[in-house]
Amino acid sequence: MMRSTRGLTVVLTMGSLFVGAACGKTTPARTPGGNIVQVDTQSAAPPAVRHDERVFAGGSAPSAISFPNPFAGEAMPAAEGAQLFPANNCDGCHGGGAVGWVGPSLTAGRWRFGGADAEIFQSIYYGRPHGMPAYGGLLPPDMIWKLVTYIKSLPPPKDVPTESW
Amino acid sequence: MTQYRLVHRLAAPALGVLLSALGASQAGGQGTADGQWTMPAKDYAATRFSGLAQITADNVKNLRPVWTFSTGVLGGHEGQPLVVNNTMYVVTPWPNVLYAFDLTQEGYPLKWKYRPAVDPNAVGVSCCDAVNRGAFYADGKIVYNLLDGHTVAIDPATGKQLWNTKIADVTHGETTPMAPFIVKDRVIVGPSGGEFGIHGWLKGLDLKTGRIVWTAYNIGPDSELLAKPGTFKPFYDKGADLGRTTWPTDVWEHGGAPVWGWMSYDPDLDLLYYGVGNPGPYNPEQRPGDNKWTASVLARRPEDGSLVWAYQFTPHDSWDYDAVAEMILADLTINGQPRKVLVHFDKNGFAYTMDRATGQVLVAEPFVDVNWAKRIDLTTGRPVVDSSKLTGASKGNVLNICPTLEGGKSPAAPVAYSPRTGFFYVSTNNMCMDYQAVQVARIAGTPYIGANSPYHAGLGGNLGAIIAWDAATGRKVWETKERYPAWSGMLATGGDVVFYGTLDGWFKAADAKTGRVLWKFKVGSGVVGNPITYTGPDGKQYVAVYAGIGGDWFLLSGDVRSDDPADVRDPAAFIRDLARHTSQGGIVYVFAL
Repeated sequence: MMRSTRGLTVVLTMGSLFVGAACGKTTPARTPGGNIVQVDTQSAAPPAVRHDERVFAGGSAPSAISFPNPFAGEAMPAAEGAQLFPANNCDGCHGGGAVGWVGPSLTAGRWRFGGADAEIFQSIYYGRPHGMPAYGGLLPPDMIWKLVTYIKSLPPPKDVPTESW
Repeated sequence: MTQYRLVHRLAAPALGVLLSALGASQAGGQGTADGQWTMPAKDYAATRFSGLAQITADNVKNLRPVWTFSTGVLGGHEGQPLVVNNTMYVVTPWPNVLYAFDLTQEGYPLKWKYRPAVDPNAVGVSCCDAVNRGAFYADGKIVYNLLDGHTVAIDPATGKQLWNTKIADVTHGETTPMAPFIVKDRVIVGPSGGEFGIHGWLKGLDLKTGRIVWTAYNIGPDSELLAKPGTFKPFYDKGADLGRTTWPTDVWEHGGAPVWGWMSYDPDLDLLYYGVGNPGPYNPEQRPGDNKWTASVLARRPEDGSLVWAYQFTPHDSWDYDAVAEMILADLTINGQPRKVLVHFDKNGFAYTMDRATGQVLVAEPFVDVNWAKRIDLTTGRPVVDSSKLTGASKGNVLNICPTLEGGKSPAAPVAYSPRTGFFYVSTNNMCMDYQAVQVARIAGTPYIGANSPYHAGLGGNLGAIIAWDAATGRKVWETKERYPAWSGMLATGGDVVFYGTLDGWFKAADAKTGRVLWKFKVGSGVVGNPITYTGPDGKQYVAVYAGIGGDWFLLSGDVRSDDPADVRDPAAFIRDLARHTSQGGIVYVFAL
């Protein structure tokens, strides 16, 4: 019950985030996931919803509006994200410290669905194929941004491509 | 005649040959023939013993691969092929393709393959890799589970689907990697999901139609357990509704209790035996009480599912000690008395020898290093727990608990029992863990775990071992150390050879009497499957096994994960160099002299 109420809040807050980001007029639009968000009509492009497995015309992804992480690089939100990560059962799939379990590692600096803050936000908010659940109905955006900030704070191993003995 | 009676009569190799001839004449029967392999554990007693004796301790050194096949799937290849009517049936991990190979033709060409549509979301709801533990042949049907909560029956001649029944709900964290078990006209199935807050159950389907005839829960009130007054008689525990009263109010509704291992059946007693997995969440402070009947063995009537007895190996499990490992049925002499027993090697590190009619524990001794309990009290049936090893969110990081939550033996790696030697052959893990539990909230469709538990090697530094066990006395007969956790099933044969594979990709044959390794071959990937043996159309004995490492995520550490360039992992600290010796990939191997 509480969760569905929160889900409603999320959609509204998402909208206000877009507004905040672009300071322009907004109209509702539908994302590929079917969710309604508020889109800035004065900026050049729709929100940054893109999937790596899609091939874009001309070979390059359309440019997207800026969708900034309000906590980018900050230590305190990253620390809160570190708490949110196990509390929301992220570690159950991605492993403690996000080193990989049934779900992929999030520490290698390599990404199936893009590693920009906004792309990681999308992955958490909308979910991804093969089992990543959509947390958009469960967590408010600021908590998702804290998770993003935590994930981006994890240091990749020294030499990712080469493993030697 | 039941299979475990058959095997008990095998006094000499000559009899084994006679039986394999008998087997050929019984082609199509329900797993009674040594020439075939019609059910996961070979027979209802779950012995994984075949009387075939052409391959012996003397000539096994001449064994060589004669056929291989890539399944094209990278997941962990647990389980085993079936061989029925000169056809080999292979089920892959998700997406659960079923192959039928014609053994009468050179190169074993396919007769057909069955390619079901299996929900990819099931992969993300599988705790530990999208495995499948095999099919079961009965009544002219190949029956197996798809990962996404469906049981299917396939026509062995044509590959056409006969029925397809939804048994589990992926959106509630239920997946179905286990092999079904068929008794008379019932197909018995259960779900995984002990890490997803499921409400664990067992179902009995009608073999003809796939219709669900009964559903019996493993936790909850007696009525939902199908525990009827007067017919449910646990040996140690008294009282009504123990599956509810040993939990905080309503917590049992998401208390786990999955069923993902192997089953056995005694036709004389008409009892079906299966183990129940862990309680959830892993943080035990969220579920005070014994949490019955998690981490338990249950004995049911297959026809209507009614519960006859139950015994809990690990009350109030604080360590993820699922009890889903197989219950092997044997007739042993204990303290001079012949007893019909059930033998079980639990994740918790104890090997139990129990009266299978009543559920009384006769012998319970550790088969690996155990420190969470001092012993099992045979009067009460309860472990004498070392309270310093109890876990919980308030206890912080509890160090050095032996064995780990992978188990003293992995339940996915079943034991073999040779009535010729009287020994049980066991793949074991020599590992201990630290266990840090945390408070966790249940979010449907996400993991419900609440613990972090890194492993380290136990005494000696070797991570695994193959052992032979005397279940009448509860002692180890021999041990062969393995560098890595021993994660394949065992096969025992009338030639007094045992077969097993290793994570670093060796398939080995050992002397059943001494454990001495007589032969080995480096296969294409680490072995987590279970070897089988059968007689080919040419009358020769063959041995088959899957290579294909996986089934738990530490096995995929480092560069072992080869299908996803975006998922590059640091090796797990306790097993850093495994990826030096193997990588993923499913291959079926057949060996012969």
